[in-house]
Formats: sequence, C-alpha cells, structure tokens
Amino acid sequence: MASQPSTYDLIRQHGIDRRTFLNYCTRITAAMGLGAAVVPDVVAAMENKPRIPVIWLHGLECTCCSESFIRSAHPIAQDMILNMISLDYDDVLQAAAGEQVEEIRRRIMKEHKGAYILAVEGNAPTKDDGVYCTIGGQSFLEILKETAADAKAVIAWGSCASHGCVQNARPNPTGAQPVKKIITDKPIINVPGCPPIADVMTGVLTYILTFDKLPELDRAGRPKMFYGQRIHDKCYRRPFFDAGQFVEQWDDEGAKKGWCLYKMGCRGPSTYNSCSTIKWNEGVSFPIGSGHPCLGCSEENFWDNGPFYERLSNVIVPGIDSTPDQLGKALTVLTVAGVGAHVVSQLVRTPKNGASPEK
Amino acid sequence: MDIIQQPLRFVPGETRFGQRYVWDVPIRLTHWVTAFSVITLFATGMFISWPIVGPGTGEPANHFLMGRVRQVHFASAYALMFSFIVRGYWFIVGGRYARSGMPRFWDRRWWNGLRIQILEYMSVETGPAHVGHNALAGVSYVVMVGGLGMFQILTGFALYSQSNPGGFWDSLLGWVIPLCGGSFHTQMLHHLASWGFVIFFILHIYIVLFGAARYKNGLAGAMISGEKFFREGDLDL
Repeated sequence: MASQPSTYDLIRQHGIDRRTFLNYCTRITAAMGLGAAVVPDVVAAMENKPRIPVIWLHGLECTCCSESFIRSAHPIAQDMILNMISLDYDDVLQAAAGEQVEEIRRRIMKEHKGAYILAVEGNAPTKDDGVYCTIGGQSFLEILKETAADAKAVIAWGSCASHGCVQNARPNPTGAQPVKKIITDKPIINVPGCPPIADVMTGVLTYILTFDKLPELDRAGRPKMFYGQRIHDKCYRRPFFDAGQFVEQWDDEGAKKGWCLYKMGCRGPSTYNSCSTIKWNEGVSFPIGSGHPCLGCSEENFWDNGPFYERLSNVIVPGIDSTPDQLGKALTVLTVAGVGAHVVSQLVRTPKNGASPEK
Repeated sequence: MDIIQQPLRFVPGETRFGQRYVWDVPIRLTHWVTAFSVITLFATGMFISWPIVGPGTGEPANHFLMGRVRQVHFASAYALMFSFIVRGYWFIVGGRYARSGMPRFWDRRWWNGLRIQILEYMSVETGPAHVGHNALAGVSYVVMVGGLGMFQILTGFALYSQSNPGGFWDSLLGWVIPLCGGSFHTQMLHHLASWGFVIFFILHIYIVLFGAARYKNGLAGAMISGEKFFREGDLDL
C-alpha cells in the first residue's frame, strides 16, 4: 500500500501548487466544523496516506449527486476530489466500458478486500428480483449486495440511497428501497440531499481519509457535522419568522422584502442540512436565499410530504385525501352533529319517561 | 320578607341524598391546569401552524409575535407535562377515586359496566349513577386525555428539541422523530392529534351537562368543590 501515491502526490502531478493545496485543506477543515488545530492533521493525511479506494455504484438515480460532486466549490476541487479518492469504478466517470469495467470492479474487490469504500448513488428496486435496474445483465440489487460484502463501509450518496427519494415515493411500483434496507451488516453513512452539497460530499471523504474512521453519525445515520442542525435554525430569514413577517403571495410586498417563506410551505423547520451555512455553487446562494421555499430534499419521504408549497401535507391514511385541519374540522362537525342528535333524542323521549329516572 | 333568611330543615326520615368528598385537591388542580393548558396549546398551536395575523411592515427586530406565541405554547406544554406528572403520581398514591374508572380489560364486570353505560347514554337502559367515574368515562379519559396527551407531550417535546440538537430534550426524546417517520411527519401527526382534544372537549362538556341534568348529583360543580351527591343504590361508594 505504501508504494501507492498519496493525494498530495497526485495533486502536484496535476500542477497544483502547495498554497492552493493548503488553502483547500483549511477550507475543508472549517466545513467539517473542526478547529484550525486540525488543519495540520488534514495536510499530513493528504500528504502521506494512500488514496482511499472507492467503488462508486449507480442504481436507480438521476446522476445529480455526481453532477454536484464534480462541481465542488473550491477552485481546484474538481481535480482535487477526483484525485483524493481513487475512483476506480464509477459508471459515469470511468474511461473503461463494458465487460472490462465489471472486471475492474471485481479486481478492486479482491485487491482491497475489506478496505475499500462503497459509494452508492441511487437505490435498488427489489420487486421481481430487481429486474427494473440491471447493469451488464446483473440486477443492481445483486451487484449492491455482492460489492458491499467486502467493503469497509458504505456511503449512501443522496436521498435515493439514503431514504429512497422519488422512486421510493408512493406507490413505489418497482419496490425501490434505500441502501439501509438492503445492506444491514456494514456501517452506512447517509449523505442525503437531492443532490447533497458538493462540499458536504468532499468533507465526508476528507474526514475518512484524515482520521481513518467514519464521522460521528446522528440517529438517521447522517454525519452530525453537516446534518446536525435545521436549515431553519441557521436561516438568515429567521428574524422574519420570529417577528411574524411572512410572504403570503409570490409577488407581494413581503416577497420583495425577503420575509420568511414559512407560509409558502418552506420545509426549513423540519430539514437537517447545511444549505443555510455552506450554501451552493461556490457559496453563491441556496433556495431560500433565492426566494424559494426549502423543499426538504434531504428529509425522509420528502416527495410524499407534499404538496411542496403548502404548510400542511395530506394525511398519510389510505383513502383520505385531506390535510390534518380538513380532517379535524370534519370530525368536529360529526361530533357536534352526534351531540345534536343525542339532544334531540332526549327531548323527544323525556315526556314519555317522565322527568327523572329516580322516582 | 324574612322568609329568605329561614334555615332549611329536613324532616327526619326524608333525607334522600348523601354527600361525599370525591375529587381531592391534586385531582381538581391537575384537571384545571390540563384544561387551560390544552386550550392554550390548541390555540397557539393553530397560530404557529398558520399565523393568521402579522405585525405588518417594519424591522423584524422590533417585533416578536411568532416568537412570543411559540413561547406561550412551550410554557403551556411544560404546564401540561407537570400536570400529567402530578396526576400520574396521584393515580398511584392517591385515594380510591384517584384511580376511579381505570379500565380493567381483564375483568368481565368492567366490560359489563361499559356496556350498561353505553346503553344508558343511548337511553335503552337506566342504570345506577357512579360516585366516581363510570367505565366509559374512565376509558375515554385514559385514551383521549392520557393517551393523546402523552402522544402530544412526546411528539411536542421531540419537535421542541430540534432547536437544541444534543440538548436535554434531544437526548431524552430524539428517538421519537425517526419513529414517526421524520421531522415533518412528526409535525403532521402532532398537528392532527391536537384535533382529538377538540372532539374530546365537545363530548366531555356535553356529557357532564347531560349527566348533571340526568342524575342530579352535582356532577357539573364537582370538579370545583370536589363534592358529589349520592343516592341509595349508587355505585363506587
């Protein structure tokens, strides 16, 4: 393993100077929520440790995670990321094709047995033996199980792999299931988002490379450093929420003044992600910053929690197509009607029975 | 003129009512704390879900309407929780009426009592009055107040914990959110369940008034004075 080039070696080969390299290390350390004292550790890891072998599988997905990944914010990140990990197998980015590439996957699995990281983008349909997603004549379900068997850990990129996303939304015709439902005997890091923020993806890999361990995860299996807080609690529009100043229409005065998008269905109060701190596209903006409510794309079942632009979603009871308030009001009316019917029945009966039961 | 000042005198042998102290202080106190906190929680909760009025324009630093309503909601939630703790404690150590009406699903007599009470409300049958809670009242308080209240306290404080990750409430109740299918779904369930109190409220008020009119045992005032009247043949003496 020692003979293998480190990340830094490859970066230098690509003509990137040391200043830019240190710049990157500092930036990614800050993004991970770690202090300046850790920067030397990150630098040392980059300089000395061999790259992490990664097999990157694509199941049922749209490749938006890969698209996000290759657009990491740092100016040299594109090279940096692709060099930092040895992306030996990736359906989308690799040069090889056909039988040759499946051969590479099997070779990595043998050579780096128990040491490689399996990154999964997308998820696997489980209905009808997984025929709804096949690669090289093999079902993705089978490939996923086979490749995960010798992996050190599994990274579930994006909402598809973490939670199921759109293909897992009701009625889920292909029986698509997130990685955590299929692989149960390996540590899984969920990195949800549709797609996840590029810097979050890079941060997770840098952490694993630097500290030789998986980042601390929350109850949903997400790295705490990026998914520890709600969008809402770090949102720059939060003062408008607390004040009670809300956008009511897309073109009203509040919208122009940048008030809180809560009443437009913003999912910020129930979404854990780093959008309101790290932001997107080299820190340019994020949905709320651009006047659009958060859709909650990194939350479980976010497609089923719609409509996106309503505060309340429909009640998750089959056959009932109404919000909690509509259902509550209907039940209240029924109760009042029941009470009314009882009053009437008593008024009708009383003369016959006499004034009181006690006589 | 001085007739109104005349003391009442019973003719010996004609006394038909007895009086008993049924609801002691912890029961009455927790009843009213629960009642007022639930009403406040429902009103503020609906406002938080859909703020119907706002402070209008101006710098947000000068207003704190939503924040204040949320504060009232959280303060009422603490009141409800402590009320539940006291009531739960009193259920164990209090007198016999503290456990009155407790559902005994394993007891045939309890099921029979439930059947009689339902028939009685439907005016099919006339049964004796209860000094404590009847079986139907007991099961409805356990489910519609106890169960629903516990659910609201669990989901509510779990949602509350989100603003302080890793804090006291998060470490205590953070598990509730994944169990309910995520933060948004927890919020929907919390919101939907709050309507259960509206339904309970309507039925409770009506049945208290109906019972007070029918049994003439001081039912409506008993939760204030603690005293109830009873006749020969009444149950739970």
